[in-house]
Amino acid sequence: MKRNTVPDPPRWALKFFRWFCNDHLSEAALGDMLELYDRRLKSMNRWKANVLFVFNVIQFLQPFAVRQKSTPSSNTIGMYKNYFVIAWRTFAKSKAYSFINIAGLAVGLCACLLIGLYVKHELSYDQFHENAARVYRVNMDLKFGDNRLDLAVANPLFGETAKEEVQQVEQFTRLRWYGGFLVKKGKENIAEGNVAWADSTLFDVFTLPMISGDPKTALSEPNSIVITESVARKYFDQTDVVGQTLTINNTESRKVTGVIKDLPSNMHFQFTSFVPMIEDENALEPTWAGSQNYSTYLLLKEGATREEVAPLINKMLDRHLGPQLKDVIGKSLEEFNAEGNFFKASLTPLPDLHLSPGKIGELYASGSIQYVYIFSAIAICIILIAIINFMNLATARSANRAREVGMRKVMGSRKGALISQFITESILTCTAAMIIAIGITALAMPFFNELTGKSLTASMLLDPSIALSLVLLTLLVGMISGSYPAFYLSSFQPVSVLKGAPGSGSKRSMFRSVLVVFQFATSVLLIVGTLMVFRQLQYIQHKDVGYNREQMLIINNIDKLENRVQAVKTGVQQVSGAGNATITGYLPVNFYRSNDSFFTSRSLDVKDMISMQKWTIDEDYLETMGMELVEGRNFSRDMAADTAALILNESAAKFLGAKDLLEKKLYRIVDERTKLVHEYRVVGIVKDFNFSSLREAVKPLAFTFGSDAGAMTVRINGDITKTVSAIEEKWKSIVPDLPFEYSFMDADFDHLYRGERQSGTLITYFASLSILISCLGLFGLATFMAERRIKEIGIRKVMGASVSGITVLLSTSFLKLVVMGVIIAIPIAWYCTDKWLQEFAYHIDVEWWVFAIASALAVLIALVTVMFQAIKAAIQNPVTSLRVD
Amino acid sequence: MKGTYLGEFEELVLLSVAILYDDAYGLAIVDELERQTGRSVMISSAHKALMRLEEKGYLKSRMGGSTENRGGREKRLYQLTQAGKKVLAESRELRNNMWKQIPSIVFDGSKS
Repeated sequence: MKRNTVPDPPRWALKFFRWFCNDHLSEAALGDMLELYDRRLKSMNRWKANVLFVFNVIQFLQPFAVRQKSTPSSNTIGMYKNYFVIAWRTFAKSKAYSFINIAGLAVGLCACLLIGLYVKHELSYDQFHENAARVYRVNMDLKFGDNRLDLAVANPLFGETAKEEVQQVEQFTRLRWYGGFLVKKGKENIAEGNVAWADSTLFDVFTLPMISGDPKTALSEPNSIVITESVARKYFDQTDVVGQTLTINNTESRKVTGVIKDLPSNMHFQFTSFVPMIEDENALEPTWAGSQNYSTYLLLKEGATREEVAPLINKMLDRHLGPQLKDVIGKSLEEFNAEGNFFKASLTPLPDLHLSPGKIGELYASGSIQYVYIFSAIAICIILIAIINFMNLATARSANRAREVGMRKVMGSRKGALISQFITESILTCTAAMIIAIGITALAMPFFNELTGKSLTASMLLDPSIALSLVLLTLLVGMISGSYPAFYLSSFQPVSVLKGAPGSGSKRSMFRSVLVVFQFATSVLLIVGTLMVFRQLQYIQHKDVGYNREQMLIINNIDKLENRVQAVKTGVQQVSGAGNATITGYLPVNFYRSNDSFFTSRSLDVKDMISMQKWTIDEDYLETMGMELVEGRNFSRDMAADTAALILNESAAKFLGAKDLLEKKLYRIVDERTKLVHEYRVVGIVKDFNFSSLREAVKPLAFTFGSDAGAMTVRINGDITKTVSAIEEKWKSIVPDLPFEYSFMDADFDHLYRGERQSGTLITYFASLSILISCLGLFGLATFMAERRIKEIGIRKVMGASVSGITVLLSTSFLKLVVMGVIIAIPIAWYCTDKWLQEFAYHIDVEWWVFAIASALAVLIALVTVMFQAIKAAIQNPVTSLRVD
Repeated sequence: MKGTYLGEFEELVLLSVAILYDDAYGLAIVDELERQTGRSVMISSAHKALMRLEEKGYLKSRMGGSTENRGGREKRLYQLTQAGKKVLAESRELRNNMWKQIPSIVFDGSKS
């Protein structure tokens, strides 16, 4: 043909024009445009003509030229109606499969929803503050000699000085734990635990909406207090209480100057009352090298960046630190730094605080980004397993749908229409599953909250952004799980399908096999993870921590007893069943801590410094706690010199290195300005005991002899309930004005590891879920296979095959897949668990038998699932299966 | 007069169809308009006007006359209907009438 004379503009533009243009215009207009194109080719290059052609086409995109909507050729709405009907009939026809499909997806989606809400909550910490993007917390990173400290706190003056000297700092505020106090309500005294000292600028930096009171002045007068809504309700039954007074610790009174809304649960501190920082005498102390006790937050000016401000505040720090170092340790900052020591400040953005690695002196324990990752990964695994179930069952059952597909194709259905039919079906299934999943999630929410210690509500799912993502998730899961079956089914050749059953060819079952292998690999991974977490937690609970925490009663409010302390101690010890008792707040299971620096020489050289915990205890402490002395002796009340005695732990001894530590002298600065130094003498060494997370190795610690009225710990020898109530009686007779508050040391210890335990339990549940879903899928596949081969089994039986022979025949093919999954999973599981365990200073080893158990478990569960069907098929009377045709 | 409003462009299109007589199709009309007015005309606007005029009953069309340089596609050939002829005549008469009523001083005056 004369091809070269025919104008040839871009084909897509032609197609596009014919697609949108109405029939009346199409032919003539297109002809005109082609003629014009042909004419243009003579005067310009092809590329330019093409552009102009496209331009012409676009010009026709006007209402007059566009095709009217109703095109009689394809009845889309009608077809979709038909898809719905067919989908419903398919559901109804094979209830078991539909149940497995929907249940599997629903459980998977439910797990996803729960984890999604959890992760969203973890990520939402402190995002809501108006100035969230401009607020930074000051961290101090220190190194003195061999002591390396990362502090979440700064010295008292840091914030104020930064505001004065660094132009980019707009405002600062400081927070410090006040601890707790007793508030009088009627005749009773109620303990309020979460109280903080705060600067009057608190409300400039954080968004804490005030219901009544003036945020500007609320924290500027001594003896005032800002309380949350719920505290106000507790004591006054209303929230409009500004100007009223609260009686604190029975004697002081504090005027309520502000009532704020309850702090949202996604905030990195959870105080319920704030008292003015000006009451804290130490808050004005001009020390830069010494005590670092204040959580300091800086509000930067609009446009200022962390990169810009960090060097400036470090310069500021150096300016003030230099002279003080010279005074205290007699070295200039340069000399100090030259020895490899440093004193640096860094800034953490407020929204990142919760998931940043915890530092020393955090107000509240922070979250863990690691768990956010782990849980997200689990959610993805579970939903993948559920999707695979769907794909496997749908393709396996393709034979049942093949005739329908063939028929549709013969009647003129195109491939695209069939694909949209099957995708519609799977989106429908998925929608049903999602509705059920939302229901289950709502029901499971209280249980989940108990596990995670969060307060999530099902109504969070109604939040527009979450609701939208639910819809998207439904569509996405529907599309993914429907895609393979849709393409597979729609590609059947009508001729071969209608002539006979389509061979479920080896290629198809190959794909299914890969999916099953993947499912079981994931399950085994989760089982191994569960076992490891579980064993590590067991190990922690039963590890010899260096003291005895069973049957130990901790009584609080001792600090409010004043001169009655001794009377209470003697009184309690008289109770039958009560054993030794010791009075001190320093316990291995709480957060009552005090860090101090000791020097081995009077010259106070930084090189000879050791940073240790300094715990003040009485002579009964070691015995009550069941701690063991390795060397030396206990403190004694009879020796007056023991007020300057020290008992070190083994870590401290190891740090000091010297062999004969007994009688060794250590020095501690008591006052930086007057240079008052205390001299201590080591009298004993105690076996290491754990007093912080078992993730960390035991740090150096020193006991000093004295009195600290933080708490009283009593060993109970007799029956716990009886003894405790007897002690309570005794308490009430001696101190009728204070509540008897107590806890048990083993419970407090467990509390320390609550985070780990919660995650352990969660992982266990989710792992079980994933196995359940995998097994549902396997069950479906096995049922189907048995059904497909029913005639074969009948004939085999007629020919003399035994029940066991047939069972083995049907089971082995599945078992092979499961075993392959196990083999793939083991190295991955090994790597992951090993990495997790390395986080703990004290941990179990990765042992082979855990993998053996996990694998055996997976194989066993799979076997039971498959065997059930296999045996059912094998014992069937061949007459029933062979009777028809 | 009210119901038979004819836009300027529409009128020009009608006139072009009349001029081209036997070969009045889209592109030819565009060419004619461009030649007569010196303005550039988009194919889509010509077709839009032709469709409207056909809807109003001033034009009728038939398909025919495919050529190689149109990729073998037929033209839609337009022809004036009686109504079309009438509306053109009316329009012309209206103008003539109005011209006649202009006092001669207007144009003569401007000359001097």
